[in-house]
Amino acid sequence: MIRTQDEFVAARKPTWDELDTLLARKHLLCRLPAASISRAASLYREICSDLMRARSAGYSSDVIDLLDSLSARACAAMYSAPPYRLEGLRDLVLAGFPRSVRRNARFLALAAVLFVLPGLLGFLGALRSRGFAIQIMSESMVTEMEKSYAEFGRGREEGADTMMASFYVYNNIGIAFRCFATGILFGLGSIFFLIYNGLLIGVVAGAVTAAGHGRNLFTFMAGHGAFELTAIVISGAAGMVMGYALVDTGSRTRWASLRAKAGDLFSMITGAALMLLVAALIEGYWSPSAVVAPVKWGVALLFYLLVLAYLLCAGRSRPGGRRA
Amino acid sequence: MQLDNTVEVETPEHVRFRFRVAGPTRRAWAYLLDLLVRIAILLALEIVLVLVTGRHLRSAKAILSGGTLLALFLIEWGYFVFFETLWNGTTPGKRALKLRVVKAGGYPLSFMDSVLRNLLRTADFLPLGYLLGLFVMSWDSRFARLGDRAAGTMVVIEDPVRVAPPIALDPPPDPTELLAFPARVTLSLPEREAIELLLRRRDLAPARRQELAETIAPVFARRLSVKAGDPVRFLALLHHVAVGGQAKSSPAISAKVSA
Repeated sequence: MIRTQDEFVAARKPTWDELDTLLARKHLLCRLPAASISRAASLYREICSDLMRARSAGYSSDVIDLLDSLSARACAAMYSAPPYRLEGLRDLVLAGFPRSVRRNARFLALAAVLFVLPGLLGFLGALRSRGFAIQIMSESMVTEMEKSYAEFGRGREEGADTMMASFYVYNNIGIAFRCFATGILFGLGSIFFLIYNGLLIGVVAGAVTAAGHGRNLFTFMAGHGAFELTAIVISGAAGMVMGYALVDTGSRTRWASLRAKAGDLFSMITGAALMLLVAALIEGYWSPSAVVAPVKWGVALLFYLLVLAYLLCAGRSRPGGRRA
Repeated sequence: MQLDNTVEVETPEHVRFRFRVAGPTRRAWAYLLDLLVRIAILLALEIVLVLVTGRHLRSAKAILSGGTLLALFLIEWGYFVFFETLWNGTTPGKRALKLRVVKAGGYPLSFMDSVLRNLLRTADFLPLGYLLGLFVMSWDSRFARLGDRAAGTMVVIEDPVRVAPPIALDPPPDPTELLAFPARVTLSLPEREAIELLLRRRDLAPARRQELAETIAPVFARRLSVKAGDPVRFLALLHHVAVGGQAKSSPAISAKVSA
């Protein structure tokens, strides 16, 4: 019978050290050889009982802390799935992302309205008066935009494509992420950024069109727009899903209601980021190329149909066969 | 300033563990360290880019700023997710401060959790310097900022714990000292715990230990009608005698361990 703390520690320390070394080898037990896994499982149970015993006997806090942290580590190592799988990304692209988008179609529609309406407003306003445009953006910006599309179509200097593609990755995915993340403020942030970005794009388009370079601008924007504008709307929609989960919680607590949506949020924002990556490549290399306008329009139409078909159809279970 | 806390987590077997969750100060230090690491990575990349593209390409400048922007993007949005996923919830800064991100149940976090909690940094940062995150944290026993709440994670402290060495009499008791004590001394559990606590604690200054022992020793000395010399030594001897008889019954235990 062990009575004192020192005897207890002396008798049990080898067991604790054995588990400690097992856990130090891999943080996930499933990566250890089978014999070690069973050994760790029985060591874990022993340590759980040691912990209870130490607590009930009132041993000093260093012993209890040691057992606490050791058993917690063992428990985590035993009951967890691998943190990431590469197949997960494939599943996301093939099914998870379009499904999540379809599940939240109402938010997508709302986000589209919040993005497109201010865009139209900005476009018409800037088209009618330059004063409107410089209310929204600084005058130098407007002039800069007008100038850049006036000289459009002659191709860029070598290497500029790569730089611009990187810029679009940095800027646009950043915008999409911000649009999503601020949705946690009960959706208000996403609503603001959708309206703001819609308005901004509309004003630029309006101002450039008013300056007489509308054809250049729309030829440029047509190709990547299919991916870029859709992705921004999707990230805004994901932000609003997040905000709404905090408002309408069903029978859950506010944060549990949000966590229940975590899977959808993750696939929507990751999918949107991937779409923006595609958009950045198109925007960097294809959109500014010297290809004639009608070809670009044709390709743009193809892109729109592709995105639409993807979001509508990908990941649906086939009528005959059952797919999880 | 330390603002840490403990939370209790129950496992599937209904065993309860305690985790030490990290408060805002520790996490802020880890964040600052990570910020420095990120700046260092960016500078290193920039130097590599200059060396690689500098001479060979006509458009080196465009490639250079393109590469910089891409690196900036990856480091701004990917740094935390990359390390938290590969290093099981730690980053260089978190490692330095012995912090780890885990699920609220104590399990390792997944890629999805890491993406959510780190994307939401943007919201936690608002209006500037993580003020909103700090505000939200102060409401929660787990110090969860918005990102932690959405992903269901917490940041725990993983200080390696060392068990204090057994109580040893130094110098070893000599028989004449022990003769003064009765053959059998019985201490109640609280009494024994109190003496052990006094003898075990290393952070107690010698003078303070002496002072405490002086108040306790006479009580036992009177009860056992023994003359107490040095009070600390006296308590150690008392403890030795009280538990000494039981030390002989331990072969059963060592047999079990070696089996």
